[in-house]
Amino acid sequence: MGFLSTISAAYSIATSENYDIDWEKQETRDAAKAHWDAVRTKANDALPLAALRLTAEQKTLLDELLKDSNGLFPENPTDHLLAELPKAIPPTSLNRIVGSVIDDCLKNHKHDDAQAAKTPVIQKHWCDDVSIRRASLVVVPAFTKYLRSFAAMHDTEPVWSAPLDTVCIHIQRKELVYLGIVSQEIPPLEVLELLEGVDQALTEYIGLLSEVTIKENFITVYQLLSEMVDSGCAVTTDTSVLRGLVPVPSLVNRVIENVSGIGMGTEKRPDVNTSSTPWRAQGIRHTNNEFFVDIVEKIDAIVNSNGSVVSYDVSGDIGCKSRLSGMPDLLLALNRPEVMDDVAFHPCVRINKWENEGVIGFVPPDGQFKLASFHVATDASPRTLPIYVHATTTRQELAHTIELSAEVGQCGGRPIEKVQVRVPLPSQAYNIRVQCKAGTYTVSNGRTSQVEWSMKTLKAGDRSSRLVIQYFVRQSAVTNAAAGNSSPQAVSSDQDMAQEAFVDFEVAGYSMSSIKVDSLKLMRESYKLFKGVRYITKAGSFQVRF
Amino acid sequence: MMNSTIQTNIARLQIMKAKVLAALRKGENYELKTELNSEYKERRKEAVRRVIANMTVGKDVSSLFTDVLKNMHTDDLEIKKLIYLYLINYAKTQPDLVILAINTFVKDAEDTNPLIRALAIRTMGCLHVQEVLDYLCDPLHKCLKDTNPYVRKTAVMCVAKVYDLSVDVAEDNGFVESVREALSDSNSMVVSNAVSALVEMNDMSRHHDVWRLEANTVGKLLTAINECIEWGQIAILETLVDYTPRDEKEAENICERLLPRLQHANGSVVLTTVRLLLKYEKHVHRADLLAQFSKKMVPPLITLLSSDPEIQYVALRNINIILQRHPKLLSKEIRVFFCRYNDPIYVKYEKLDVLVRICSERNTEPLLNELKEYAKEVDMDFVSRAVQAISRLAIRYETAAENAIKVLLELLETRANHIVQSCMVALQDILRRYPRRFDSLVDGLCEYVDDVNEPEARAALIWILGEYSESVSNISNILTSFLESFLEEEDSGVQLALINAAVKFFLKSPQQGQTLVLKALQTATEKCANPDVRDRAYIYWRLLSADPNAARAVALAEKPAIELENVDLSPQLLEELVNELGCVSSVLQKPARLFVYSLAEKAGVPRDSGISAMGLDDADSVAAGAGDAAGSSSAGIDASNEGEPELLISF
Repeated sequence: MGFLSTISAAYSIATSENYDIDWEKQETRDAAKAHWDAVRTKANDALPLAALRLTAEQKTLLDELLKDSNGLFPENPTDHLLAELPKAIPPTSLNRIVGSVIDDCLKNHKHDDAQAAKTPVIQKHWCDDVSIRRASLVVVPAFTKYLRSFAAMHDTEPVWSAPLDTVCIHIQRKELVYLGIVSQEIPPLEVLELLEGVDQALTEYIGLLSEVTIKENFITVYQLLSEMVDSGCAVTTDTSVLRGLVPVPSLVNRVIENVSGIGMGTEKRPDVNTSSTPWRAQGIRHTNNEFFVDIVEKIDAIVNSNGSVVSYDVSGDIGCKSRLSGMPDLLLALNRPEVMDDVAFHPCVRINKWENEGVIGFVPPDGQFKLASFHVATDASPRTLPIYVHATTTRQELAHTIELSAEVGQCGGRPIEKVQVRVPLPSQAYNIRVQCKAGTYTVSNGRTSQVEWSMKTLKAGDRSSRLVIQYFVRQSAVTNAAAGNSSPQAVSSDQDMAQEAFVDFEVAGYSMSSIKVDSLKLMRESYKLFKGVRYITKAGSFQVRF
Repeated sequence: MMNSTIQTNIARLQIMKAKVLAALRKGENYELKTELNSEYKERRKEAVRRVIANMTVGKDVSSLFTDVLKNMHTDDLEIKKLIYLYLINYAKTQPDLVILAINTFVKDAEDTNPLIRALAIRTMGCLHVQEVLDYLCDPLHKCLKDTNPYVRKTAVMCVAKVYDLSVDVAEDNGFVESVREALSDSNSMVVSNAVSALVEMNDMSRHHDVWRLEANTVGKLLTAINECIEWGQIAILETLVDYTPRDEKEAENICERLLPRLQHANGSVVLTTVRLLLKYEKHVHRADLLAQFSKKMVPPLITLLSSDPEIQYVALRNINIILQRHPKLLSKEIRVFFCRYNDPIYVKYEKLDVLVRICSERNTEPLLNELKEYAKEVDMDFVSRAVQAISRLAIRYETAAENAIKVLLELLETRANHIVQSCMVALQDILRRYPRRFDSLVDGLCEYVDDVNEPEARAALIWILGEYSESVSNISNILTSFLESFLEEEDSGVQLALINAAVKFFLKSPQQGQTLVLKALQTATEKCANPDVRDRAYIYWRLLSADPNAARAVALAEKPAIELENVDLSPQLLEELVNELGCVSSVLQKPARLFVYSLAEKAGVPRDSGISAMGLDDADSVAAGAGDAAGSSSAGIDASNEGEPELLISF
């Protein structure tokens, strides 16, 4: 449907508002005209490129409608308009995902410049010409406008019903926004997972992603995107498969090419793997056969000011690194499989075997991969915290003080590493002073200030880890906030206090759920296998309320 | 004089700049042309890269078409891919020249490397040029029968592209039939691609008769699904949505074979499986199986909530729908839905909705404490929703009312402007729901007379004062002071509330209220411009003067109990949305036929103009779409508050 549906939609709203109005009166006519003009400028504004395509005839036609008071709002304005105007372009059905755009809006947003141009870095389309033009000329500009309409990028809803019968689905990863434009009813999760897969694949191929690195490697990016999606259907996002199809740009190659202008060519001709184990190629050889398992558990928790745990959740990943020759078949047994109450496996795992015997049987992909992710059953998790962070806040008129202290909780007597406590301060805070007895701190000043307190290690019995933050709250801001509040004593309310701290930490060698690897057996291959297992407990979203 | 010289100079400069730029650009293409024809392989390769680089930033490199084509005969796969990319881009504008490339394509389609065969066949399909079609048929026939499954699966997708260009070519050459046969292919990836291609063609065809999912195919697909990668699984699961099982046995069988899908790492696989289970569940009657389904559905849904916020959002919107079908499903998991400070606001709103929905009588207390925390956050909209949630809990569970009131009074004490407004409205609802239970607190509310500055909140406070006039010590003064600013009041709701309060006060204590009610009615009838307010005042006046007892019966009537506003979707819409679970429609909470053009046409529904209007109204477009559910909650409460419904009923 062309842009005119946009205008006609606003148009029909106008009629319903002005239902039953006497058109003979000049003032109502003027009002209607003003309204109509507003609607039209709004439409032009929203779709500048579309507006340019309004032909002179169409314009006069619309104006004719305006001038004639009786015809201004005919009984069925939408139908009327649609009948008058050229039939819209039919939507394409073949191409479910019209395009994917990688956008660098976040970067611009950092400068607080809402109007900064957010232009797509790369667009890739999987559809016919008409849809490409519709997508890149109309939908993408409209989407950028949509993004700009939010004060905080963080808060843009990921699914947006865009003009021209499309739906824009996007994710934000670091500085980049990945946008998928969809022209059909399709599960948004599919698109979100695909975009997530694109992000992961690009990160694996390119490393640190930014506008610059993407532009530098756009040839790789294009090749990847055309392998990942064929005519709008996701084909694969598995990087082990992709590596067989698109060569990884190696640094050495690039340096040589750039310096001498002579490329080494692709030393290994990529080949496609079509075996029954699409994630593993035939004939892999390693001199040392090694297999490493990392069990990483994350605690998501919210702790209240009185120390009580409001919400508590432990989930984990089993990550593996495989350097095995041939076609190994592995059997991984855990000590307490029943503790894992929702397990999602890598496609290589035989689910039936897990269901029946509680062991994980699989032919591993080569290299690093995530074997499984799980959630620890609520009744099986210990509900203890490895770290306790206490906070006391005091307030004297406009001066606020926060005292933080951190202590080791239950974590098998191991030291806690990489402790980081982040305290976002209210936007009106100024003159921030910090006293720190252990570790280091930084104060960052953005739109809102934030104090970050880090300690390399925190040992049990360590009582000296304290941090005191003092700051003042701007008077003007407070009076503004309390506008209409006549009682003068209410100069400062809870709203101006810092309310939360976010805690990050890592405990090596400890697992919250006490899940352990019982055994790892190798079958089908006869070489000796070197095994390694690590356990790590980390903070997921760990939040302490004041 | 000076100015004009400067201006001419500037104009000259600009012309020169444009010329130089044009020359440069032309120069670059010229340079590329020589490079593309270089005798050194590496220089040609670099040139191709630069051409593509220019193409992607929107520079016109179409003039290099023939030169680029010359480089097509190469063993270098990367160069081949890049040139194919170039061809796809410019094929539409230069269809005649594309014919020059055909030979290479046909040759590539017979290459020994399956990757190159697949690449050739895929690119030919993507060119979307009629002229290529004739040359495509032979290679496509061969590729559909290729020994390599990677080539076969690419060829299958290519058939859909051919079908898009020309239905006749696709039908007459038996391509469509080949795709149907590919459903029995030994390789699961070919099967899943065949399914995708058939669905696409079905959508494109006029009568949607290209393919129908038959019972014997379902078995094959369910076998293939175990070996498919995630995207293939999604394709197969989605086709199963349209299948209606023949009998209970079959439905049970399908569901049982679907259950392992719930353990997939891909959220979309999980959600589509849930969608299928909810759909097939109607055909299953065995209680133990149904219980098993519910039990298995919960953990994966919970896990979705620890993914990225975007996925969480989609999951929450869907959970909201699932809960209307299975209200008890997640009642034990309430803590998972507690909001985190750094959740995006759209996730917080959804969580709040789900929280109120799944809260049972047992866990009102922790939830109320949690809501109190939310009410202290910075985002005003979120705060008011949190406060509203408090009142909804109180209205729903009698046992929670006392606690809720306690929380609201604590919040009022913060005296933060926006909190006071929301709390007042919330208190009104609770007092209305439990008349005569919380008389004692009303007097305390008078403290906040000066703090309520939103019309809705002011109307709420006035309503409370009128209703409980006997428990307020200096009621007369307060109402009088409100009355003084009667005419400055912008909102007629407040004016109506004030008249009602004055009348109630008078009926309860005629001595004290007489002057007040007279003044109120006089101001309203003589000076007020709003006809509604005037009419209401006239009616009261006549009623009071004609028959005070009748007036009493009207104004002080026993009010119908306030009910929790209906936040549920209508059963019919719910049915539709459950069927479309996990799709865009479930996120927008609008059935697909209202915003997918092709479906709208099929269903004969007039195009829903509202959706297109969203293009204009960027900021709250999704909110508008979502408004059906979220917005109705506030609308529901409003309807019961504004303008004294008991009076409307009596007349």
